[in-house]
Amino acid sequence: MEDLVRTALTAADGPGVRYADARVVAPLRMLHLAVQNGRAQALTDAREGGLGVRVRTDRAWGFAGTSELSPSAARASAALAVRLARAAGRAVPGPLRVTDEARVDRGRYATGLERDPFDVPREEIVRLLTDAEASLHVGRDVKSGVASLQAWSETKWFASSEGASYTSRIVQVGAGVSATAVRGANVQRRSAPSSFGGDYRQAGFEFVASLDLPGRADSVGREAVALLDAPACPTGRTTLVLGSDQLALQVHESVGHAVELDRIYGSEAGYAGTSWVPIGELGRLRYGSDAMNVVADATEPGGLGTFGWDDEGTPGQRTSIVERGTLVGVLSSRESAAELGLARSGGTARAEGADRSPLVRMTNIDLLPGDLSREELLEEIPEGIYVETNRSWSIDDRRLNFQFGTEIGRRIVHGELGELVRNPIYSGMGPEFWSSMDGVGDQATWHLWGVPNCGKGQPGQIARVSHGAPIARFRNVAVRGGG
Amino acid sequence: MATRRSRSRDPIALALAGLPDGASADVRVTHRTWTTIRFANGRIHQPHLERSTHVSFRVAEDGRLGTATSSDLSAVGLAAVRDAARSLAHVAPVEKTFPGFPSDRRAAGRLPAFSESTAALSPERATRIARSILEAARARAPEGRIAGVVIVGAERRRVANSAGLDRTDRFSTAQASVLVDRPDRDPPVSGWSEGGHWDHRRLEAERLGTEAAERVAPSPPAPVDPGAYRVVLRGPAMATALEYLAHLGFGGSGELEGWSCLRRLRGRRIAPEIVDLADDPRSRNTVPFAYDCEGTPTRRTRLIDHGIAGEAATDLVTAGRLGRRRTGHALPPESPWGEWGPMPTRMILAPGDATEDELVRATGTGLLVTRFHYVRVVDPGRGVITGMTRDGTYRIEHGAIAGPVRNLRFTESLLTLLRGISLLGREARIFPTERATSAITTPAAAVRSFRFTSATLF
Repeated sequence: MEDLVRTALTAADGPGVRYADARVVAPLRMLHLAVQNGRAQALTDAREGGLGVRVRTDRAWGFAGTSELSPSAARASAALAVRLARAAGRAVPGPLRVTDEARVDRGRYATGLERDPFDVPREEIVRLLTDAEASLHVGRDVKSGVASLQAWSETKWFASSEGASYTSRIVQVGAGVSATAVRGANVQRRSAPSSFGGDYRQAGFEFVASLDLPGRADSVGREAVALLDAPACPTGRTTLVLGSDQLALQVHESVGHAVELDRIYGSEAGYAGTSWVPIGELGRLRYGSDAMNVVADATEPGGLGTFGWDDEGTPGQRTSIVERGTLVGVLSSRESAAELGLARSGGTARAEGADRSPLVRMTNIDLLPGDLSREELLEEIPEGIYVETNRSWSIDDRRLNFQFGTEIGRRIVHGELGELVRNPIYSGMGPEFWSSMDGVGDQATWHLWGVPNCGKGQPGQIARVSHGAPIARFRNVAVRGGG
Repeated sequence: MATRRSRSRDPIALALAGLPDGASADVRVTHRTWTTIRFANGRIHQPHLERSTHVSFRVAEDGRLGTATSSDLSAVGLAAVRDAARSLAHVAPVEKTFPGFPSDRRAAGRLPAFSESTAALSPERATRIARSILEAARARAPEGRIAGVVIVGAERRRVANSAGLDRTDRFSTAQASVLVDRPDRDPPVSGWSEGGHWDHRRLEAERLGTEAAERVAPSPPAPVDPGAYRVVLRGPAMATALEYLAHLGFGGSGELEGWSCLRRLRGRRIAPEIVDLADDPRSRNTVPFAYDCEGTPTRRTRLIDHGIAGEAATDLVTAGRLGRRRTGHALPPESPWGEWGPMPTRMILAPGDATEDELVRATGTGLLVTRFHYVRVVDPGRGVITGMTRDGTYRIEHGAIAGPVRNLRFTESLLTLLRGISLLGREARIFPTERATSAITTPAAAVRSFRFTSATLF
């Protein structure tokens, strides 16, 4: 594969070409096993491969990818990338600048794991899922139970015309259970450890075993049924406590995407949108309360956004994003960092597979823990709502107005969790919401959640990222019952 | 007739040849060529070309199913994908109602419309289309910031199975969208246009650029209170709503699992007489294809027949589980909708005869919405979805557009939307999603009541 990368780089040359990089991903393996109501919902084993070549002229980028791993396909892709860059450059008013970066030479990165999920007998996995799924069916109202596992293994070779080169193998895995109870038009779902298929980690099958899916399934099924009879979440402004998994998604949508520098500069304006963040106020913009501290950490053990080098060859790094409520950092690539005048890229240019071009993506975006125990955080609340596990999520194209629904809510009465409420929805505006956060849970409430489905770009790319989050308390938030 | 030599190189024959007695399988080989030219801040910033080939192999052994996919079409690679599928089938739960792979050997008949020149469009030609959009938008809005995309390409697919079915299919598409905004205004204002066609010569790229630029309001958007309004939904907004209706109302998974919002309403009136919605993958008025990914011939399916709700979509497995016939809606698992199960992907809403001015006039007082953003399901059983308006939301007063308003969040049931349709536009444009995994052909519509639940700052 190293030869293929070299072949592509050699071919990606010619008048006007200033830079080229090439990636081979082979294999990109994906395993998706899901059992639903005692039957197979998905039993799929994918083994893909591909090569991508990116070139830069003085004025534009060009990218071409292929699934064919041969020297002739590598040369053809390189030639196409050069043609695209030249054609694109004709419509560009000014020169294209990128940051200078330290060169990685023959770097190597590999996920530390005990048990490779792709080596685990399929029978063992399907038996685990079948047992867990069966336990979800606690009554006739449970119309659908699902137990699923997903695993990815990506082996990659990267090299650039600047002399950078590395190889990496990243293994990620996750699993979960979900029960859907239905009575008429009343549909209630409950999932564990969280929605989107559970929880995920850069790790081996030992992580799946630690989730104890069969042990969780019974209570998941019972909560789904109990939600059918629960009253609707009350409407009004109240104190809201977000569970760790819901807070992780809140960070993803209203912090992570908003601080992507390509969005801020308008590169995604025609599709995903832009950002409310005025980049000229970096270092002094109030993003939230003093209790808000956020980092982007591509070095975090176990994170889905952890890697040795990004898809431009820049090392993974830990960057402060919000310190005591003030925006101090952003996510960047070599191009966007240069546009801001930064000396170095933030190392967050990531691509899905080999046939996509790198974009500014999240790594592991964590809200750091505070110092309140769960009990201390709740005890000051005479009346409020606690919610966890996302059910619906939507935010405007500048990442301001959001509305999230969760699978489950509970009334908080005099500092204690009480009655279940169904279809809770809360909404707000990003900066106002984060400014209302006056209590952040301690390390015991903090968890690193894997999010396997972050979409961005055209053609569409899915990134797997993580978010560490504690539980946290927000004052005067609009909540209501959905549906 | 394939020769012995050509047969030995045929990946489908190679994949099926190694099956043991008693096993059956279907194989799908897909070749894709796509050029994507993105532009932002007035320049082409992400030109992208992709050529790929994939094989998907699904095996049935003793009533158990397993699937594997690969990009390696060598003999070794095909043997590996077959073995991977078989190893999954060996441990799979028994699919008691699986009807077996169909043995349809009928002549294929004429394939629907396809554009060879679109499929073979050079990267330079695709780039020129993007430049023509940029120039058209710039001519009308020289102060505007322009962003968008041109996507051109084709997919060729062959599906065969061990029961003798062997189908070849293809589709081509050219699609574009363009945003013109004024981030220098406070709050910013923007205009939008999009469209697509199976033939790039009918994309009307310059028109899209002009239209987006002309929709940028000259005055700042005014705040408006959330609440229920009469609305005119332009084509892009209607297309998004119908896309969710395909999943929540006509998807096979929702029917099977009991959460479909139309499950208890089939055969009953859910919309006025003027609402006539079909899934018609062979029409020239969509991005057509002839077979689903299991090789079942596609056909016109009435989804809402003059207001009356029709049946849900099925594929081989779903049809078996529901005890119904398959409707030709199998989706490849790797498509964005694959995990949603079978559903219509070529919906066509019959147009009415109103111009946009007439829709606005008939609305009297209300809001005109260009498009929706970040739509998600809130309550599947009641068909409730939420999302934002974006890139051109206007107040309607006295039957005319009175000026732009700040964007709003809606939280509304698709059933309420359908019931409230009072008038349909005369122009039905094709709105493909990326690479035409879905394509909705729809006019604009006037709707009696649509609920907005909050507002944003711009």
